[in-house]
Amino acid sequence: MATPYGIKFAVHLITSHFGNLVANVCENLLRKGPLTLQQLIRFTELTPLQIKNSLLILIQHNCVQPFSSEQIGAGGNEVKVTQYLVLFDNILHRLRFPKFLEIVSEELDKNCGEILEGLLQHGRLTLEQIYERARDNAVQDAVRESFQKLLNSRFVERCPAPEPFVEPSTIKSSNKRGAKSAKLDEVSETEEQRVLAAAASLDTLRFSILTPSGTEFDEDKKDGDSSSSMGVGEKRKHGAADSDDAFGSNENEVILWRANFEEFTRYLRHKACIENVRARLDVGAATVLKAMLDATRSAEKKVKTENSVSLSMDTIFEEVMKSEAGRSLTLDRVRASLVQLGCSSSGTDDTYSIDLKQIIELAQKEEVESIVLRRYGRDAYRMFRLLSKAGLLQETDKIADMTFVEKKEAPKILGKLWKDEYLHMEVEYFNLLIKFTLSSNMAICDVVDKPRLTLSGMSDLVLMDQNKEIVNKFVVDRNTTFYLWKVNKPILWQHVLDEMYHAALNLSLRVIHELDQKKELLTIPPEKRTGPLEKEFKRLKNAKFFLESSLMKLDDALMLFRHF
Amino acid sequence: MSRLQEPSSLKRKQPDSRSPLDSLTEHERIIYNVIRSKQDMGIWMQDMKRVAKVPDNVANKALKSLETKKLIKEVVNIQKRGKKHYVAAEFEPATEITGGAWYSNGKMDFVVINILKDQCLKWIYKQRVATLEGILDAIRKSGISNVELTTVQIEELVRALVLDNEVVEVKSNGMGEFDSIPVGKVCYKSTSKGSRGDPKIGAMSSIPCGVCPRISDCTPDGIISPKTCKYYSQWLDF
Ligand code: SF4
Repeated sequence: MATPYGIKFAVHLITSHFGNLVANVCENLLRKGPLTLQQLIRFTELTPLQIKNSLLILIQHNCVQPFSSEQIGAGGNEVKVTQYLVLFDNILHRLRFPKFLEIVSEELDKNCGEILEGLLQHGRLTLEQIYERARDNAVQDAVRESFQKLLNSRFVERCPAPEPFVEPSTIKSSNKRGAKSAKLDEVSETEEQRVLAAAASLDTLRFSILTPSGTEFDEDKKDGDSSSSMGVGEKRKHGAADSDDAFGSNENEVILWRANFEEFTRYLRHKACIENVRARLDVGAATVLKAMLDATRSAEKKVKTENSVSLSMDTIFEEVMKSEAGRSLTLDRVRASLVQLGCSSSGTDDTYSIDLKQIIELAQKEEVESIVLRRYGRDAYRMFRLLSKAGLLQETDKIADMTFVEKKEAPKILGKLWKDEYLHMEVEYFNLLIKFTLSSNMAICDVVDKPRLTLSGMSDLVLMDQNKEIVNKFVVDRNTTFYLWKVNKPILWQHVLDEMYHAALNLSLRVIHELDQKKELLTIPPEKRTGPLEKEFKRLKNAKFFLESSLMKLDDALMLFRHF
Repeated sequence: MSRLQEPSSLKRKQPDSRSPLDSLTEHERIIYNVIRSKQDMGIWMQDMKRVAKVPDNVANKALKSLETKKLIKEVVNIQKRGKKHYVAAEFEPATEITGGAWYSNGKMDFVVINILKDQCLKWIYKQRVATLEGILDAIRKSGISNVELTTVQIEELVRALVLDNEVVEVKSNGMGEFDSIPVGKVCYKSTSKGSRGDPKIGAMSSIPCGVCPRISDCTPDGIISPKTCKYYSQWLDF
């Protein structure tokens, strides 16, 4: 689900990578959901050619997936139309390319890293183009070997179908991507999943270098492309731009490869789980978890899997012994670690599986609590933890009592958390229960049997109808008015994620601002940068490094909430 | 420590047989009845005057007289400290008014609370695993408190420590460090690392925007924006 700042941040990434035109097209797709070329022309007011080129770039970089479906045309008969679906997650993944490269050079080797770098830079490449890129640096056999390694570890995959057909009945007509409406977003989420499922290549082919006929593609296709003298990226664009109805539909014989973001996400998810366990429990538990996850990574069906794949005690021990850290563990120690990890042997078959979802949820909770502590203080932290543990509505005085906060202070702190959307509030006035939902700093209250009313003020509540006519004033009398509070986790998590996108955008904008401010400084050649200039330059370099590494760290948290 | 009282309830004292009520003036009686009608919640002086419709100077005199006759008492209302609040003498003021056991003179007694919390924490860290009874016993023996603490009060303190993330609540499994504790019994453990202090700082809360009170007012090109942001300027001031 793309939140308002999620969209802004994604548009910012696309703008800085591909410029304003592409970003314009992308933003429309992000805000309105899948669109046809005609609709895009209408919404963006760009020329058809500009839009086509923008779409080509977005498709090339795996940020847009075209699909076709049947719609009722003007004459009342069914016509096949192509729609473009933007892939929000893949846009965000662009931020993580350095992380992906690091994984490959750590897990595989430098040559694999170079191939991946080419794929990330160009979005999609044919095998031939991959060889071509490497021609100066390595012999073809070595490249083939490295490529095979990347495939085996699933870091690279075959591109999905260029334009799958999706049953019209499964496509919702609603094109709105309501910024704050979770319901609508759920719809587009499933719609996105449907399209992606239709486009996905068969698992057997996805990671196989062989074509269905069993030959390696590059052997018989080598001279098929007339534009082989062009630059790698150029070629793809031109090749696809010639086909005008569906981009790239002439490619049913050309096999394209790309980085497999799913596998990288899985890898990073596992890593986050292991690091969390290492910090929360101990090194032993982390070693055991790592061994289990490493052994079963390719058997996982989806990234957000709840439990790790079950393994027998024997296999676990064997896997643990494979790593240096593991060899110091005894069988008893491994068993103890498994207990620490919250899994005891399931039933008679002595197999073990770890609750990964629980680890992720704990890590998310830690992150949110840490924000509450640092932004609102220790009293708020205690109150928040109480409410998040309780999971149900609690009354102000009771909260104050249980957290040792002055009864007079408690409503102020809770009110602040509520205003910032960290808490959900209800008011019980006599026997009237009023529910409050915040939307852009305006509270919407649902009173039983009453129209939607708005509220202003915290200390004395004033209920107003849509015309701002005062309907009712609440005298905050402690005998008749009760404030009830709760942590509404799904809504809050979404809100925190949005704040994270906002913070990520701010970090990126600040980098640009810092560099912008010191433009002249950057043009001065190093030998002339002396004295205060040198000092200024160092400061700028530090600031840039500081901001960028903070962004990478923040991205870990983004992934925790969005992808894990 | 004498402030630590049992949570109060409606404790009605038997009125005297030769009641001072007989000697009340009319105004005193009106005022007394208003205050008494509010039972253990009592009433703020100004509200009382409004309800009783008695002139200010007469009311003040009557209140003094009622206090001397021990028919009413002045209490500190935690919600409106410094404002005169009266409860009829026969009622114990409600916890809504006094704040309850941990309040003294309308203020939460943080000195006492913090000393006791610290003692609980020290004991738990020393023992690694402790039960409520064990903690209570240790505090009693330490003589730090000259007032009998109840298990309920210790529980309140330890729960707050759990919310502080200083200790965790666990159930005994009767093995290892739990071997002296019956299986299933709730006990308290030091947090895993055995280190006290603030919890881990998250990625979001280690950057200015993560802890920024103005984040909802901040926009890329607004008056508050990352370009003009003073928090960033401070942060990047190496
Ligand atoms: S840029 Fe500055 S003002 Fe804006 S949210 Fe971040 S810290 Fe707050």
